[in-house]
Amino acid sequence: MKTRRDYILDRFSVTDALRWENISTAWNSVGMGRYFVNSFVVVTVSVLLLLLLGSMAGFALSQLRFRGSSALFLGCLAGLFIPFQVIMVPLARIMADTALIDTYPGLILVYVAQFLPFTVFLMTSYYRGIPPEIIDAARIDGNTVYGVYRRIMLPLGTPALLSVGILDLLFCWNDVLMALVMMPSAENRTLMIGVTSLRGQYSDNIPTFASGVLIAAIPVLLVYLFLQRQIADGVAAGSTKG
Amino acid sequence: MRQRAMWSAVLVVGLALAGCGSASDSGKATSSDSKLVVWDWKSGEAFAKSYLDKAKADFKKKHPDVTVEFVAQPFDQYYTLLGAAIQAGKGPDVMLFNGGGQIRDRVDALVPITDYVAEDKQRLAGWEAFTKDGKVYAGPVTLQGYPIYYNKEVYRKAGLDPATPAATWDKFVADCAAIAKAGAKCFALGNKEGVGIQFWISSLGSTTLTPQEYDAWIAGKRDWNSANVKRLFQTWKEAGDKKMNSDGANSTAMFNDSFAYFQSGKAAHVMGLMSDVGHWKDFNEFLTPEQLGVMKAPVVTAGTTPSMPYDGGIGYAVAKWTKDPKVAADLVRSLTSADALKAFYADAGAIAADTTIDVSQGGPAVSTIVGELKSGKPALHVALSSKTIDLMGRLSQQLLSGSITVDEVVKQLAASDQAG
Amino acid sequence: MRLYPLILGVNFSFTGDGAQNGTAVGFGNYRELFDDPLFRTALSNVGLLVLLLPVAVAIPGLLATFIYLKVPGHRFYRSVYFFPAVLSPVIVGAIFNLLLAFDGPLNATLGSFGVSPVDWLGDPDLAMVIVAGVHIWATFGMSLVVFLAGFATLDAALLDAARMDGASLRQVIRHVIIPSLSRTIQFVFVTTMIGMLTSMFGLLYVMTTGGPEGSTYLPEYYIWIQQGQMNRPALASAASTILFVIMLVVGLLQVKLLDARGRRTDVPGPSGMVVGRHPHVTARAGDDLPAAVHRQRRDEDAA
Repeated sequence: MKTRRDYILDRFSVTDALRWENISTAWNSVGMGRYFVNSFVVVTVSVLLLLLLGSMAGFALSQLRFRGSSALFLGCLAGLFIPFQVIMVPLARIMADTALIDTYPGLILVYVAQFLPFTVFLMTSYYRGIPPEIIDAARIDGNTVYGVYRRIMLPLGTPALLSVGILDLLFCWNDVLMALVMMPSAENRTLMIGVTSLRGQYSDNIPTFASGVLIAAIPVLLVYLFLQRQIADGVAAGSTKG
Repeated sequence: MRQRAMWSAVLVVGLALAGCGSASDSGKATSSDSKLVVWDWKSGEAFAKSYLDKAKADFKKKHPDVTVEFVAQPFDQYYTLLGAAIQAGKGPDVMLFNGGGQIRDRVDALVPITDYVAEDKQRLAGWEAFTKDGKVYAGPVTLQGYPIYYNKEVYRKAGLDPATPAATWDKFVADCAAIAKAGAKCFALGNKEGVGIQFWISSLGSTTLTPQEYDAWIAGKRDWNSANVKRLFQTWKEAGDKKMNSDGANSTAMFNDSFAYFQSGKAAHVMGLMSDVGHWKDFNEFLTPEQLGVMKAPVVTAGTTPSMPYDGGIGYAVAKWTKDPKVAADLVRSLTSADALKAFYADAGAIAADTTIDVSQGGPAVSTIVGELKSGKPALHVALSSKTIDLMGRLSQQLLSGSITVDEVVKQLAASDQAG
Repeated sequence: MRLYPLILGVNFSFTGDGAQNGTAVGFGNYRELFDDPLFRTALSNVGLLVLLLPVAVAIPGLLATFIYLKVPGHRFYRSVYFFPAVLSPVIVGAIFNLLLAFDGPLNATLGSFGVSPVDWLGDPDLAMVIVAGVHIWATFGMSLVVFLAGFATLDAALLDAARMDGASLRQVIRHVIIPSLSRTIQFVFVTTMIGMLTSMFGLLYVMTTGGPEGSTYLPEYYIWIQQGQMNRPALASAASTILFVIMLVVGLLQVKLLDARGRRTDVPGPSGMVVGRHPHVTARAGDDLPAAVHRQRRDEDAA
């Protein structure tokens, strides 16, 4: 939180006060308010979708044996290993052809597709640690499969869901490349793109950029600080049941 | 039962996808005929504001019904994104390019604007860097050159006369010894990106190669075995061996750690730029115009005369998929209009492509630079292919760390140069 | 959703660049890649990262264990460990650039102990390890979160029983925690590898730009250079296909081996850290591995 001048003269000098002008420069220079809304909408919807699909698929792949389930799991794993660079150009073309480019749903779709393998993999690993007897007992009690999912798997999966939710949130929130490819027009950009463009070609204004990064990191940090308690509680709850 | 779970999952996915599909229709971008999209990596920065305002106003006069949208891309992903847009056949109408290899490699996606900009031909300089096979592909905004800046204060401390910097390499090396005694380094060097060597061969090119060799190099007939070409790399190695450079050059970023090192007075010289960063105005924040000097390259090979190496820096080009190339070219002309470039020079300090701009208020350093442009020549490294430049960067680091000989360096560069 | 573009992308890798745009060139791009010393450096750096993988997994694993066992101040640690993970790699890189600069504070501190300065990021033998280390520092918070969730499936009764028997911390970790968390460990292994191979671009770009002397190239960085700077999209496509195949093979091997391992640990017994099962590690290649890994190897030999 220094001025650029301080930074060049002595990068480690401890400055006496937090410099608000760095923060307000960062905030005002690129219309961060608009970007924040974009990020908020896209990331919230993406993470919720990811958690819903991830927990369902994780339940199905870990506890329900159906034909092709292991093939499906392997397919999911393979999806995990696709570097974004391989699919970037074809994806841009498909999205442009389907008019999804430059829309919220387009970017949401890309985020969900990109991070779903990770989410499914984690939920599957987690749910495999739950003894099948619990599910069998619930089924004997007359629960439908959906009932088991809602009454047993969702509550039991809370620690994993919260953890993977935080990570998905972090990935989507901090992503720059996918958002750049998918959101070409200026008013649709996300917060991290705005922050990244504070850096400039020669990275010569580190203090302003750092301020931008810190502002952008606050929401994720707050969510984490709020949720880690819940995770810890969930851990305690889970271990008594196990 | 299991099937039902499966199906409900499938249904949810299907619904989610359908939801996205239907929602997208309403959110479809409004691509009206009267809108031009411009990509660059500058328009987000504060100094560009009045430049863009001037350019927009100029364009508005010509085409009041056309709106212009500037999209600032982060520079590190700029060409990757542009590549994706070119592959997809959809992208901006007008885009910013660095002169030289970056634009020449991509002319397939551009419209030649030679005829549209004919009127500007005289007023602006630096066209060469945006020309391929006789066709012009972009209008130059800035000029980029590689002057040697020096700190007069450090000269005084070392007992040297700041008014007469060394004119020959031997004298220069001797001066550096005096500067070292006074506790400063001779050069602020950042070679982490391998860019240091580019500035080096270009700054010292005119006084190392004979004029014939220089012109042949630019024309693409490079004799890597000539003694003078080797000399370019020998002086580089000599400066490293004699500890003339700032410490840890291979891990110091040229942008902007080495410039910061120079600005804070820890080194006497730096091979800087004319535009972007590391130039007179950038330095003026710390070194007053009286403290900052620009020197001619010291003569390495007897009988040569120093000249300023420069090329077109950045320029705007027109994509081939734009609806009306004439309108887009008019935007390029507005972006290179005298008023707009004047604002660019005033706020960013960059030496603009418009040579009619009055720079006399900028201090002695900038006057020296602009004065030298008349006798200037294209820079040596700009003539090399991206691949050879990349290799040269790595080899230069090996020269500094002592793990390679000059002979081996020119051998590898010759092979790369001939293959490319 | 991701497979179709993948096919298009792989298909693209068999076509030419520039003047040959669109025409099929067979395996020409792949031949060019393997002839390029830079790409070979990138591949051997992948090997180095795979060797460092056990460390990258063990650190968050151990820290999560301490937090779970409620060491004093665990609430505080739980909050701060995640902090580096939310920062952009560019900022992390910039911070470490300053710390590790030739005239930076680390060398200054070493200097006061009489150690001559080291050019941390300017030495081709050191730079890759340093950048990988910074990456581990910047990302261990994410794995930590996964580990913490994994502890939910741990049977607390088992832990209490082990403690009643007077088991030491090391024994508890080896005989109780690792077998119970085998699935979580497997997951962290696979995702850490993916993180190392696909998300170090930001750090490399800021800290070394692939240097010095090209020593810190990774496939990901190579792809970026070819795609963006050299305008060779088809060649970049071929390089990313190779990266995909490497990750697929190494990843599936990990899953398979760790699965087999996980099943065997249902029988109580010394399981060691599952790391040693990695093909590269069992090859006995790296004598530069940390002592912990050697210990694990001995354990495995005993098993």
